[in-house]
Amino acid sequence: MKMNRRILAAIVVVIIVIAAFVAMWQLNLFAPAPSAEARNIKMGIVAGMQTVEGQDIERAARLAIDEINAQGGIWVEEWHTNVKIDLVLVDTVDDAAGSTAGPVTRAITDQNVDILIGGATTGGTLTGQIPAITNRVPFIITGASLNLVTRRGSLPEGNPLRYNDTEGMSYMFHYCTTIQDYSQTVADFLAESVKPKLDSQFTFDTARKLRLAILYRDDGYGRGVRDITSTIIQTDNLPIDIVANVSYAPTATTYQSQLISIKDSNPDSVYIAGFTADTAEAIKEGINDVGLKSLYIAVEICEDPQFYSLLSETGTFQILESKIATQWQGETWYLPKVGTYVEDYKQKFDGKIPGMLGADTYDAVYITKNAIERAGTLNKTKVRDAIENTNIPQSLLIMENERIAFSTGSNYHEILPKTFIEQLIWNPTPAPGALKPYVVYPASMPGISSFKQADFSLPPDYEPGSP
Amino acid sequence: MITPSGLAETLLWGVANGGIYILLATGLNLIFGVMKLVNFAHGQLLMVGAFVAYETTTIAGLNPYASILVSMGAVALIGMALEKFAFRKVRGTEKLNEIFISLGLIYIFQNGATLFWDKNNYNIRIPSPLAGLNLTLGEVTLGYDRILSMVIVVVILIGLVLLTRKTKIGLAMRATSQKSDASMLMGININRVHLFTFAIGAALAGAAGALYGILFSFNPAIGALPTIKAFAIIILGGLGSVPGAVIGGLLYGIAENTAVYLLGGIWQDAIAFALLIIVLVIRPTGLFGEKGE
Repeated sequence: MKMNRRILAAIVVVIIVIAAFVAMWQLNLFAPAPSAEARNIKMGIVAGMQTVEGQDIERAARLAIDEINAQGGIWVEEWHTNVKIDLVLVDTVDDAAGSTAGPVTRAITDQNVDILIGGATTGGTLTGQIPAITNRVPFIITGASLNLVTRRGSLPEGNPLRYNDTEGMSYMFHYCTTIQDYSQTVADFLAESVKPKLDSQFTFDTARKLRLAILYRDDGYGRGVRDITSTIIQTDNLPIDIVANVSYAPTATTYQSQLISIKDSNPDSVYIAGFTADTAEAIKEGINDVGLKSLYIAVEICEDPQFYSLLSETGTFQILESKIATQWQGETWYLPKVGTYVEDYKQKFDGKIPGMLGADTYDAVYITKNAIERAGTLNKTKVRDAIENTNIPQSLLIMENERIAFSTGSNYHEILPKTFIEQLIWNPTPAPGALKPYVVYPASMPGISSFKQADFSLPPDYEPGSP
Repeated sequence: MITPSGLAETLLWGVANGGIYILLATGLNLIFGVMKLVNFAHGQLLMVGAFVAYETTTIAGLNPYASILVSMGAVALIGMALEKFAFRKVRGTEKLNEIFISLGLIYIFQNGATLFWDKNNYNIRIPSPLAGLNLTLGEVTLGYDRILSMVIVVVILIGLVLLTRKTKIGLAMRATSQKSDASMLMGININRVHLFTFAIGAALAGAAGALYGILFSFNPAIGALPTIKAFAIIILGGLGSVPGAVIGGLLYGIAENTAVYLLGGIWQDAIAFALLIIVLVIRPTGLFGEKGE
């Protein structure tokens, strides 16, 4: 009996010791103390705050950063602790080529940012990325439609944009769709959806090629869209004739003479390679002032609330190529993550609808979180390596293989995004009415089996080009 | 592809656009002719005129063409304030003072408009009941808004001619423009003439702004380029010459539109300024200018 009591007492003591050990383990009392070097992560958000796109970038970054900070921050292994993110706004004002290098340099040298995220225009980013390249600061570029921002190291000798610093360029990442991506989608849509519709509705000979006019900004971006579209049509042997290539100066505020010239070429469709305000204005002037009752195609840069409001009722039945449907009209969101993002964004920012550059930025903040946690440090070289090895499920943008990963081959540090086509329809209720987008192409996307919401229709007062 | 109908449309549109330049340049020329004042912020008055017309149309529900009168009145008042409280204070001092005041006003107007009207940098356009309605003559299409804008420009110019030719204040303006000191000695109140002249010049800019807002989209930054064009037009037409501003404005509007149609968008401003250089090389005083002016 006496023996049994001793055994019982011993068992109780062992249980108490084990319980105490488990409790201490649970309370993380065995973990090394947080390093005294631990500090907040300084995330430089490159945004031209005078522009609608820049404001969208800043808001999206703030949303993601606040979400991460609310969950405790980012685990940094070498400091044995979670650290929070400080948003360092790198205001590039209008994001023009001459406005970006100064703010980015100051963010690197004065504020010691750990990483840069953002950028909108190609011109602004090409100059803004130089200080990041020379100072070896990882930069996830979430704008810039030309992939020059990742390929300028391989440009031929003598090209003024060439930047021969392979090591520095390895810190550049491009998380954005490019003119190649969206011109491919537009060309395929014209060949697969618009041409058959024209042939059947106007009893055209099937051998007749679709007559396409391109109206483009006379800058690197616009000329890039013009050239790449032409190349895609030739390479893929698509049944499309480019009947007009008409440019406008980036400073232009009216496009009527250009549209008269396009009207004279009798196009079936007008592809506009412009920014939000100029594209909306060109479509309105084309329909209302010039009487060019065609099918206008805007590029994804215009996936912004401003475009919808500027275009208003005039834009009904016109086409918008897109990469994120922030104004999705289905009962359930095509990707739950997009729905959560849009609702949270609207709630946080007084009902504002997000644009498409902010979506890239939001994803980029989470790509950074994932990379830093894998790197276990804020050492810039190790963070660069971790971003390079990113392999996580797609988030707001649709990816070709449903995963976010940066290429490491000849097209260095780029992604494989997918874009789609929306048709805008004027919905008069509730008053005063609004344009709403409906996906018409393609039928499905990676990870979304049933994506198409409506069949493509020609505008009611549409006039085709010459037979 | 160039077609006769396309070219005809472009010419007509050039005339319509030229009408806006005419109003702007005439106002600038009037101020320069009478006051010998170079106002670089004249395009900003056009911008303010566009916003005033937009507000009266969208908020007060006024017809956009009626809002031109409101715009003219509001911008005339602003012009009077500028003359009285800014330019008059430096009259007779170094010319640079006037120039720097007008340069400063550019930023004050532009930033003020951004603050009050356009925090989101949206481009807006004054909604017109005639939007999308076109007159079609064969293959030539011209919007009713453009036709009406041309008529309004003609009416305003006739009114201006009557004002300067048939009224006492007009006589005083002409006298002051020719010999300011002699006019003063003859009992003309120079301050009053300057105030009135600036008000008329500003009102013309206000009308130009309202018409601009009906025909094109605009934002707080639109003032700069029209100012440069207006200066080019008055140099082309001849400094101080109202008929010169009219012909210069028409030529400029037609030149820039046909340049876009025939050569491409990038030539829009280049051709128009090339025209200016050619005229100045052949006739340094401009089309209607006189030596010594």
